[in-house]
Amino acid sequence: MDDNRFDDVLQDMPRSFNTPPEPPLDEMWTVIEDAHFNAPVPISATRRMTSRAPWLAAAAALIIGIGVGRYLPRNVSSPGNAGTPSAIAAKPASASDTSAVADAYRDQTTRYLGQAAALLVSLPAKDANGRTDAAFASKATDLLVTTRLLIDSPAAVQDPKLHSLLEDLELVLVQIARLRSERNKGDLDLIHQAVEQGDVLSRLNSAVATNQSSE
Amino acid sequence: MPFPVSNLTENDRDRDERQIDDRVNETQLIARVIAGDRLAGRTLYDTHAPRVYSLAYRLCGDAEKAREFTQDTFIRAFSRLAQFRGDAAFSTWLHRIVVTVVSNARRSELRMAREVLLDEAHSIEFTAPEAEPDLKESIARAVDNLSEAYRMTLIMHDIEGYTHAEIAGILGVPEGTCKSRLSAARAQLREKLAAFRE
Repeated sequence: MDDNRFDDVLQDMPRSFNTPPEPPLDEMWTVIEDAHFNAPVPISATRRMTSRAPWLAAAAALIIGIGVGRYLPRNVSSPGNAGTPSAIAAKPASASDTSAVADAYRDQTTRYLGQAAALLVSLPAKDANGRTDAAFASKATDLLVTTRLLIDSPAAVQDPKLHSLLEDLELVLVQIARLRSERNKGDLDLIHQAVEQGDVLSRLNSAVATNQSSE
Repeated sequence: MPFPVSNLTENDRDRDERQIDDRVNETQLIARVIAGDRLAGRTLYDTHAPRVYSLAYRLCGDAEKAREFTQDTFIRAFSRLAQFRGDAAFSTWLHRIVVTVVSNARRSELRMAREVLLDEAHSIEFTAPEAEPDLKESIARAVDNLSEAYRMTLIMHDIEGYTHAEIAGILGVPEGTCKSRLSAARAQLREKLAAFRE
């Protein structure tokens, strides 16, 4: 085979060598979508954290519990009823009790949302030094535990808007919490984009305002 | 002091702006996929899947395998999107995954084939001489017998039309290495086809 013939062979190879058929795009997407988007939800960073450090979850639950307890009307834990579980169980929850619990959750949620908003607002645009990142990551880690507890709380279960906000916030907080170990400029950009796309800050502010106006 | 005059033409500027826009849109899509947005996932997939599938098919020559490799590539890519740092273009990162997926599969296939051949070598004493292969078959065999690095470079450059810069980014080698591999691959191919008579 002479040089000219070999050049012809090379030029013809895109048409003659393993010419691909039309890609089965929809069929392949079905498998990819099923594997990625319908896969069982991996244990979230928060759950991993709480399983490694159960005291952290307990502490957060205690803080929320104390907060809720402070708002409960005195008659729920009055001496006549206290200490006798059967008496507590027998006593039907009155409307005022339920409303007090809801108020307590709302107050805790408002406080938490305020802290989250403060964290997001103060997040540097880019080029933060490693020490600053560690501080943000640590704060995000603390807030993550509360986020998960609030997502599972009656306050969020009964309020789909709040539930969705908390879930979006959890994703952002996970990304911030990762800054400590995997810092790079792309991560910060992604976090800011996630915040912007999910309109997280304005939803946060609006949730805080709604909660405060109903107090 | 005079202002520096830009050498960029309007077309260059338009192209650069388009590339920046594409990059921004893609970064937004990636963030949405990380957040679990299926539509964003499908858009990202539609943009890149045809080229990924085409490369997978060229490298393996089998529709079913190319389909599996493409699926595997996107499943891996989506699950690792949070690790995508944006240092390279997303397509480069994605192609790096498909090349790894295909290479790993090919390596294990070759290992198995070698074992089968060794087994057969003990049992077969005589085989009839094969008929002279046609040009297409000769080319396929010659390409297949190239070393993995040469084969990959030749297929990506001469068949799929990737630039040296793209191949260098995907395979993680300097552009110069890529050029010398292509040149060596062509030389070996020419040598292997030299004996072919039409």
